Amino acid sequence: MQPSFKMIDEKTGRYLPFIYPEELAFWEAARERKLKLQRCSSCRKAWYPIGPACPHCFSTKFEWQLMSGRGKLHNYVIYHKAWTPWFEKRVPYAVVQVQLEEGPRLTTNLLDCPVEKIRIGMPVEAAFEDITGEITLVQFRPAAR
Amino acid sequence: MTEVARALRDRTAVCGVGLRIGNFPDRTPLSLAVDAYQAALEDAGMKREDVDGIIVLSFGSDYDRFLEAVGTDVRYAYQGWSHGRFIAPMLQQAAMVVAAGMAKAVAIVHGRRRRAYGQTADQEMWRQGLGPHGETPAYGALGPVFGAAVAAQRYFHMYGGGNEDLAPIAVAFRRHARLNPVAVRRDPMTKEDYLKSRWIIEPLRLFDCCQNNDGGACLIITSAERARDCRKPPVYISGMQGVHAGRQFHNLTLPGLGVAQQEVYKYRPTREDLYAYEMAGITNKDVDFLITYDAFSPLVLFGLERFGFCGPGEAREFVKNGRIELGGELPVNTSGGLLSEGHVVGWNLFIEAVRQLRHECGERQVKDAGICQYGSFLGETVIFRR
Repeated sequence: MQPSFKMIDEKTGRYLPFIYPEELAFWEAARERKLKLQRCSSCRKAWYPIGPACPHCFSTKFEWQLMSGRGKLHNYVIYHKAWTPWFEKRVPYAVVQVQLEEGPRLTTNLLDCPVEKIRIGMPVEAAFEDITGEITLVQFRPAAR
Repeated sequence: MTEVARALRDRTAVCGVGLRIGNFPDRTPLSLAVDAYQAALEDAGMKREDVDGIIVLSFGSDYDRFLEAVGTDVRYAYQGWSHGRFIAPMLQQAAMVVAAGMAKAVAIVHGRRRRAYGQTADQEMWRQGLGPHGETPAYGALGPVFGAAVAAQRYFHMYGGGNEDLAPIAVAFRRHARLNPVAVRRDPMTKEDYLKSRWIIEPLRLFDCCQNNDGGACLIITSAERARDCRKPPVYISGMQGVHAGRQFHNLTLPGLGVAQQEVYKYRPTREDLYAYEMAGITNKDVDFLITYDAFSPLVLFGLERFGFCGPGEAREFVKNGRIELGGELPVNTSGGLLSEGHVVGWNLFIEAVRQLRHECGERQVKDAGICQYGSFLGETVIFRR
């Protein structure tokens, strides 16, 4: 996998994530339907957003660790305004923040869930959405229980 | 408090202000900045030769182009980041530069066109680490309003209430704007009008979002002594404190709300969080009116709780029944704020503070206004005194 700095997919008009060299492990894992985050080799805590040092103990030694993929819906908002044409067909849509069992929170979307069913505290699990031939987004869906 | 801090109290002052606000489709940011600068010099009764320091925060030209345009050489120049949370630090820097004798008078100048150079805010979403308000474009988390929406949602989740609790803020500021001849939004607004406005990002509506527009602004800061010789009464800078930042201070959010990686707890300011009052020798009870950064209405709730005007979760009751309106217990954003006067990156908020303390606000004058706090949810504050 290569770093990617394309803002928008010309074919679909969808916004793409920037993929920095130091974040490749995250995106390569997503491609394989896995959620991996950095975990500190010193204090053993996981962190997010991806960064060069552990924000808890400031060690720079870490490994990319497979996360459980389980978490709780911590927050959500519902977009009614479409910022670009791609979103016009999708409003109203939700952007959510999920708190993983391991602690970090991710800003993502909740797949397979109508916006009116979203509740803070609901259990969720990682899901994966291929948005181009190379890029897969880490998403979430209501937990199967 | 340090000896230097004690010595700084009331030793610098704002001596001139200039504001252009509205729609100027044929103007550039540079010409709006020059216009505001001329207005501020006129207001202070100063000539451009009297200004030997410049701070520029612009979506337009750089400091050197500005100085070239106004034909002025200075011995102190700085260019900062044009974000609302950095206006207080820039004003503080100007005061410290004057106090340190590095310049006799510092002009802070700003000019912006809303559309002339694309949508700056949208471009920011692609900075490393993504947008400063949590914008995450691939997931559709777009626009600065995202930061305010996630914060408001968490606030309502923790303390109860909902969108309708923001109505008194939008309505109060619109009432103020109707008494302000330069305000951009002056149509009457009732609670019903507010509740009929469209959703932008639920739980926020159109009327929870500021009015973006073209504008220019300038404030001139000089020593208290020199300010007393200027055309208008000095407005002294009494106390100040900076932007608090880190994992617990996500932008557009009060600490404790659990936005991004913030911990979840009920925020109450500590003594250290209220340093500016100590520096000014006052408490929040001495504040005659509050000016707070209101690019989005929930920020007003956060500003009130940040400085202990009410307890955690109490701001949504505090803002009701006219308490934050002119004539109320604590008038807030008497110009109409960014929500209704318009958005000149917050510089217009400082200009309102200055004009109120000079008692030149006519119909919207706060009676006997003596002390104003500019204070926002990230803790940044300037306390002004007439």
